[in-house]
Amino acid sequence: MILNRYICVNKKAVNPKDKVDSFSCEKMIACHDITFRYPGAEIPLFNGLEVTIDKPGFHALFGPSGVGKTTLARILSGDIDTFSGRVQALADMPCLYTHNRERLPGWSPVGRHLEKTTPPGRQQLRDELIDHFGLSTLMGMRFSQLSMGQCNRVNLLRYLLQDFGILIMDESLANVDEPTRHAILYTIKSTFPESGFLYISHNVVEVSRFCDQIVVFRGAHLSPQTRLVRGQDHREDRPLDKTAMERSMLEIMNAA
Amino acid sequence: MLHRRIFQFLIVYLLGIGLLFGIKIVLNLSDYVIPGPAGVWQTGQAEFSRYVGDVLDTFAVAVIGQVLSILMALGVGVAGRRATWLGSFIKVAAYNVQAYPIVAIAPILFILLGDGFLTRLFIAAMICYFPLLLSVIGIMSEPVTDIEHFYRVTGRLRWQLEVKIRAFENLHKLTTVISGSATLAMAGTIVAEFIAANAGIGYSIRIALYQSDLAKILVALFIIGITLSLYQGILELLGAGLKKVWAAG
Repeated sequence: MILNRYICVNKKAVNPKDKVDSFSCEKMIACHDITFRYPGAEIPLFNGLEVTIDKPGFHALFGPSGVGKTTLARILSGDIDTFSGRVQALADMPCLYTHNRERLPGWSPVGRHLEKTTPPGRQQLRDELIDHFGLSTLMGMRFSQLSMGQCNRVNLLRYLLQDFGILIMDESLANVDEPTRHAILYTIKSTFPESGFLYISHNVVEVSRFCDQIVVFRGAHLSPQTRLVRGQDHREDRPLDKTAMERSMLEIMNAA
Repeated sequence: MLHRRIFQFLIVYLLGIGLLFGIKIVLNLSDYVIPGPAGVWQTGQAEFSRYVGDVLDTFAVAVIGQVLSILMALGVGVAGRRATWLGSFIKVAAYNVQAYPIVAIAPILFILLGDGFLTRLFIAAMICYFPLLLSVIGIMSEPVTDIEHFYRVTGRLRWQLEVKIRAFENLHKLTTVISGSATLAMAGTIVAEFIAANAGIGYSIRIALYQSDLAKILVALFIIGITLSLYQGILELLGAGLKKVWAAG
């Protein structure tokens, strides 16, 4: 099952104060002059941050810990609204943010939870994803009985079943073994070819291989704070150009 | 759980009795001040049945008062969990009222309502209500973000689900608080009876006090302690059972 969810409608400001007049189909995400400081912090985390991702697809936020990947994700999803600047997320559906510390309630098995949270008409997609994610045998189990990798897969799966224009996956496949992780990434890319994804990961090989545009964070003391690097956007049905991938990896390392 | 509670009480009770007998021996006090083991035993035989009836009378009032308190605390706690004007008002009011000793207003209640069942019930409920309320507000106003996040961002987080998540995640805390409030309810009822009521173990202790009969008081304390230990143990078992049933879906 392939979902074509991405419908280019307008520029949506995450911060209601920063609503824009113009309508455009040009950028999936456009952050302009974002300045943000956590309460009590001496220096701002973002100082005039500019991030642009021009089209839907599978993209990444990359950088060392503490540079602001999660903060930008929370700004994009509307969790943080105490920033200055302008954020435009191009989608008629919500920008969802999921991370690897989420849990499912303990009062029902994983399968029943997924049944209850699956929107009408997506039962077939749910069953397919359960199969692709290697979770079929775990549906009768409680979330607390799962391994960390299994927990992350179940959590990501329930988000994929929701309505979203952009899904930000913050370390969502942490603790998942590499072959399963790759299979899941291929499945996501083939099932949701027109949706927007932002994959936050510290794995440079994976990011270079699977992502189309990679926003590399360089830290608050450097200007510009981010650099955009092209990844290989690899799909299961295409051959992988290893030389190009190595070049992407080098570019990412140099940008950081 | 149940046997551990009773065992703990017996250890504390025997240590207390032992300390009293030790003081009696060391200071060479008369049986009039601190009765000997034989005196306590004889008083126990003579008064046990009557005191059991009195304790059950007090216990019934305390349990009804506690149930009322739990219901009120859950209702108000759920309403006061949000960071709204009402929530803030309830929290501030609860903190301020809780700081005031409820026992101090007991005489007013006796004057207004007389020394019957209702006054005892009211005092028992008031004494355990505010600590319960503060605990419930504390539990209910603390988001379980790692579970609630999904429901919040997908627009599914209704107040019923929010309460369910927080209650489930804090069931152990809630059970402990409710179990602990049983002591408060019992203490409130006994204090009420001690002040002016005409029934219950507090009333019997007041008579024993006027008679300077320490043996009767020790027997009363034993029955109160055993009853409370049993009740608290049962409450903890119920909490654990509820969690098990709930978790089993």
